[in-house]
Amino acid sequence: MSTVASPEELYCHNVLRPGNTNCAGCGMSIGLRWLDEALDGEKPTMVIPACCGIVTAGAFPTTAYGVPTAASTFASAAAVASGVSAVYALNGEPDVVVCWTGDGGTYDIGVATLSAAAERNDDILYICYDNEIYGNTGGQRSSATPELAVTSTTTKGKSERKKDMMAIMAGHRIPYAATLSVAHREDFLRKIRTARKTSGFRFLLTLSPCPTGWKSDPEESVDLIRHAVRSGLFPLYEIFDGIRYRLNERPDGTPVEEYVTRQRRYTKVPTDAAPLKSYIEDQWRYLDAMAKAFPMEGA
Amino acid sequence: MARAMETGNHAAGYALAVAGEANRDARGCACGAYPITPQSEIIEFLRGFDFTKGRVIPVESEHSAMAVCIGASLAGARAFTASSANGLAYMVENIFAAGFYRLPIVLIAVNRTLGPPWNIWVDQGDSLMLRDAALLQFYAESHQDLVDTILVAFRVGEDQRVLLPALVALDGFVTSHTQMVVDLPERELVDRYLPHCNIPHRLRGEHPATIGGLTWPRETEHHRVEIQEAMERVPQVLAEALDEFEHVFGRRPHGALSAEHTDDADTVLMACNTMVRTLRNVVTARRDKGERIGMINSKMFRPFPRQELLAAVSNAKRIGVLDRNHSPGSGGIFWQEVAATLQSRPDVIVQDYLVGLGGGDVTPEVIDEIIDDLNAREKAGEPVWKEVAA
Amino acid sequence: MIELTIYGRGGQGGVTLAKLIATAHFLRGKHGQAFGVYAAERSGAPLQAYVRIDDNEITNHNQVYEPDHVIVLDRTLINPQILTGLKPDGWIILNSPDGPDAFAEQFSGWHVATVDATTIAVSNGLGTRAVPIVNTTVLGAAARVFDMSLEDVEAALVEVKFGGPNIKSAREAYERVQVKRLKGRLAAAPSAPPKEPVAGILDDVVGAMPRIKTGSWATRQPERQTLTPPCNHGCPAGNDVRGFVEAVGEEDYDRAMTILLETSPLPGVCGRVCPAPCMEACNRRLFDEPVNVRELERYAADHGQRPDPVKPWRKERMAVVGSGPAGLSAAYHLARLGYPATMFEGSAELGGVLRTGIPTYRLPRDVLGEEISYVLQHGVDVQSGRFIDRADLLKLSHEYAAVFVGTGLQDSRNLNISGSATDLMEQGIDFLDRVRQGQVRLDGEHVIVVGGGNTAVDAARSAKRIGAGSVRIVYRRTRAEMPAIKEEVDEGLEEGVTLHELVMPLRLDRDGLGPLLTCQRMRLGEPDESGRPRPIPDTSEDAQFDLRCNRVILALGQTSNLAILPEGSEIRKDGTLLGLSGAPIFAGGDFATAEGTVTAAIGSGRSGAWHIHRTLTGEDLFPPPSEPVAEPDVITMHLFNHAPRENSVMLPAADRRHTFKEVRLGLADGPDRHPAVAEAGRCFSCGVCNDCDQCLNYCPEGIVLRDGEGYRFDYGYCKGCGICSSQCPRGVIYMSEL
Repeated sequence: MSTVASPEELYCHNVLRPGNTNCAGCGMSIGLRWLDEALDGEKPTMVIPACCGIVTAGAFPTTAYGVPTAASTFASAAAVASGVSAVYALNGEPDVVVCWTGDGGTYDIGVATLSAAAERNDDILYICYDNEIYGNTGGQRSSATPELAVTSTTTKGKSERKKDMMAIMAGHRIPYAATLSVAHREDFLRKIRTARKTSGFRFLLTLSPCPTGWKSDPEESVDLIRHAVRSGLFPLYEIFDGIRYRLNERPDGTPVEEYVTRQRRYTKVPTDAAPLKSYIEDQWRYLDAMAKAFPMEGA
Repeated sequence: MARAMETGNHAAGYALAVAGEANRDARGCACGAYPITPQSEIIEFLRGFDFTKGRVIPVESEHSAMAVCIGASLAGARAFTASSANGLAYMVENIFAAGFYRLPIVLIAVNRTLGPPWNIWVDQGDSLMLRDAALLQFYAESHQDLVDTILVAFRVGEDQRVLLPALVALDGFVTSHTQMVVDLPERELVDRYLPHCNIPHRLRGEHPATIGGLTWPRETEHHRVEIQEAMERVPQVLAEALDEFEHVFGRRPHGALSAEHTDDADTVLMACNTMVRTLRNVVTARRDKGERIGMINSKMFRPFPRQELLAAVSNAKRIGVLDRNHSPGSGGIFWQEVAATLQSRPDVIVQDYLVGLGGGDVTPEVIDEIIDDLNAREKAGEPVWKEVAA
Repeated sequence: MIELTIYGRGGQGGVTLAKLIATAHFLRGKHGQAFGVYAAERSGAPLQAYVRIDDNEITNHNQVYEPDHVIVLDRTLINPQILTGLKPDGWIILNSPDGPDAFAEQFSGWHVATVDATTIAVSNGLGTRAVPIVNTTVLGAAARVFDMSLEDVEAALVEVKFGGPNIKSAREAYERVQVKRLKGRLAAAPSAPPKEPVAGILDDVVGAMPRIKTGSWATRQPERQTLTPPCNHGCPAGNDVRGFVEAVGEEDYDRAMTILLETSPLPGVCGRVCPAPCMEACNRRLFDEPVNVRELERYAADHGQRPDPVKPWRKERMAVVGSGPAGLSAAYHLARLGYPATMFEGSAELGGVLRTGIPTYRLPRDVLGEEISYVLQHGVDVQSGRFIDRADLLKLSHEYAAVFVGTGLQDSRNLNISGSATDLMEQGIDFLDRVRQGQVRLDGEHVIVVGGGNTAVDAARSAKRIGAGSVRIVYRRTRAEMPAIKEEVDEGLEEGVTLHELVMPLRLDRDGLGPLLTCQRMRLGEPDESGRPRPIPDTSEDAQFDLRCNRVILALGQTSNLAILPEGSEIRKDGTLLGLSGAPIFAGGDFATAEGTVTAAIGSGRSGAWHIHRTLTGEDLFPPPSEPVAEPDVITMHLFNHAPRENSVMLPAADRRHTFKEVRLGLADGPDRHPAVAEAGRCFSCGVCNDCDQCLNYCPEGIVLRDGEGYRFDYGYCKGCGICSSQCPRGVIYMSEL
């Protein structure tokens, strides 16, 4: 005889519980689930600013987060986490404090707060799920929006390139920074575990597919990120102490068109995708130079 | 008691520090620290203080200073910070958050004129900007009142019947930078006075709640009612806190509203902070000449002590409110509260005097002129701008 | 005042529809109001939008509680709840492929209008079936009900800047909407659930599980299927190729053997000599190279233990004529079904063509011996050296409960060659048997082998080993058309055999210098009935030439000798023989089918055993028609990493020249290498779930649950995103529309 477990029994202690209000095919959901898994049973304290990630929780008094979670004001995630982390440390509590933020809260309004917490090297695992858009407010541009992407405030395609947040974080000489892909599971889990084992400020950036904002098929969310990595558009790499680089996966010749043509936000990209290809080229020239000049031992 | 010559800022810093220290056997204390004139000495003092179990985190903005306090308080610590003027303005969003989250953070406001253009001198427009936050507000008339009120603010704010942040204001420069003799309460007594800080809804693994997710209209309204009810419990909690203060320290700080000589007074003046001291000198002099005049130290702005005010002015015919602040398009902010409270007393003249804005020195002569003006009135008029000498 | 409520999902454009309806009326001089309920739910969540229309200025800013009409944009949202507050004469407008009568019960008594807006919209390019954008289409349907003309609809669409496909869709919907007042009493909405108590900010209830069942957002949901892997489909022996490969990958060689022995008694043999049609069918061939199934089978046979044989328990005795692969397979399967069997073999030793026709450097005797002995351990008797002729067969059919005939191919095809030296020609199969018995040496002789099959290659390589000075294979087509196992050809060439393509022998003569073979050069023409290009003689002048040789070996294939069959009998397609008076006789293997491969003979032997069993007991062991084959397009190839095929270690070519030691040594393990496991890991497991966890790992909601030996989807929460399906590498998960 088998008894079917209740939703409470099955899901209550998940970092992200089913019944959350994320869109179907949201990349953040995959990221949260893998975060949960990579922490190997340890339950994090989450600090989430105003973003899709807090709407995820759903309506009071219920919540889709099965771990202690604090919503912060938009710009405050890292500072609230600093406060939480400091008090945990004062009390000898090992709990990991995770900032889970969108690109608006990381690249834009929260960048000063983030910078300060990084400069203090506060003990925070900061994860930006970057969907390259203000998704929660209806899809406006952010400084993470890539060149030529159409948003509700760049209807002719964004004219500027995406901000290089990893370079900015490297400039803080934090112990660990890495990019993560929701299509590269083992790499993702490994980096969370590496970050967990590292103390001080850790910055992880994951490109988070957003079917609603990217105007893509929910079922292609993971494949899109795989294409982004394979084409070289979203490189997977790690920076140790801000000055030692390890590149995890090189482009394999997948054309960036595989990525672009599956998203209706990219209707302003010319058919040869030349601007994106030159972006990829520049990005890799920079990364290769850094990795050559400042290699991580054993890389 | 250690009696010392201290600036108001150092006295405030000391009070915050010993309050924080008193939580060392619980979850400790934390402070987000960011400088601004004329507050900076407070955070300098705190950064230099050797906490047994506490951290003062230097941040990049007042917004983050309060954010750190929110985080620390959510993690169960006693939390406090200090700011002034535009720093408070920058902090506003998170002050509201602290109130809505029911976190008993103590915020020191060294009153300063909001700019630009830049003016560093005293004006209460900065802290009164926070009128509609879920925030207790105290205004200290002296160094001693400041130190004592900070301790009381912790005790009231952290009371389980209240659980709200509390602001304690002092005059920029006039208090903050002025050396005065003050009794600095000894740590052992503060330990006795302040119970361990208990944040019942703090973040903890065994209770995976989300603090600050989404609320529907029904829930939002209910939570506002809860805050209002908490505010309404403050007079009782404050009274108990003052009793205990007297028991521990042997002196009794002023309450929410102190009425002096109002029993027989036709004319009653009302003020807060150091203006109270000047006013008291003037009132005493006039009473010595036989005038039936009284005064009110309106130390507490939130919750506004309506019942105490009504009781204090039961015999008054005229009330003059000294407002070192200005709400454009309306008038003084204390006056608005008094006028609203006295709507049941149409017989009383309630006149507003906007005085000492931008740090003008409110001398006894200015107050005398105000009293003369008030005494001459048959009915209340528009708020009066009262120019000061310097 | 007319009030409407629109029920839709986030992202379906309900608010835009409200705006379009209001705009259409505004353009006719009316006052309109359109708005949505904005909440936390996202794309896919059920949402409402409202419209008010009036002649006068609208001053009501509340939500609509008692609509005059309702519109439902998504058929999964059609439920009695939409009747809430609806006025009795109101219309219910549904996006539904079904007509109004389908709702006769649910909405009895109401005016119902239906239109299949999803199909219309998608056919006009408005979204996809997964995410159709139906609002402008539904507008066309609504127009019929709300007394708007097509002109009104088009004007509103133009005003709101919607282009051609929207107008076309709206027009189609306008024309295709079905309207009906349903019979019966007015159906009523269920009463609203009581409100939850309001929680305080410090209450213990804070942190409870969400109450939203997000499964209600889904318009599709994942389902699982099992397809037939092309390797299994392509295996004539009926092996569960995928299954045994999986077992090898798990280093469970005993299980791999158990799986193989379910269908074939000869995995060690097949692992060496099977032409491996499974590898030709392998979907991985389109990605990099097919999985090396043959070597994996050999590896399993070399490393796995066979389960203990069962002894016969039935009384009906079986006769099996021939001990080649078909006979061995039939005897084995009959024994496993409980029948005691006696195998009749004309030669002294068992194995048939496996022993006589396949050189030992390909199939060592001990491997064959071990597998034969395992068959015998199932209680199979042997009468060797006993040739069965037609009379014997008839006798057997009266002495045994059934007879299986698997005598293989006895007669060799000849080539019509004239000339004075035809005495130097010999049949390849005879040559191989003589070589096996050590009866022939070829010291320095120059040998020509004619043919392109395995026998040709075997003869050529054997000739090399017994001292031939040169060995040439002549073949009338090209290498690509050679039926021989490709690897065997490669190995022969390594060993020094040469190949002459597009050559056909004409005459074998002698001149003063000795024998010479006159040949005709060929070219490839149109495909013949076998699908291969037909060789046709080259007509150019120098198209004939001579090759010197001492010996010519013919390897052109063999045919069955049906002389054993009783007169008047006939082999049916399924192998049964007709027109006999004794016990049933079944023909199988090459004898009946001339397929010419070991694996086909094994399959045929088993099938014969099942026929016999069915005839005797009525029990049908033939499996029901299998699931469709997993075609390459269901495999998500980009989820796999390229990996080179693991190959057998080879005896160095120089060492092969003079010995009959086994050439192919199998997949060799090293201290840090386990090539069999690596090779098994290359298997796509096409169409069969192998618990890879991709669906579980990539599900954004975490609602793919391990359920015993498989997975379960918690549909209560599944939003239908389809990622599990897109990340299933092997076509097991597909999305079905709700």
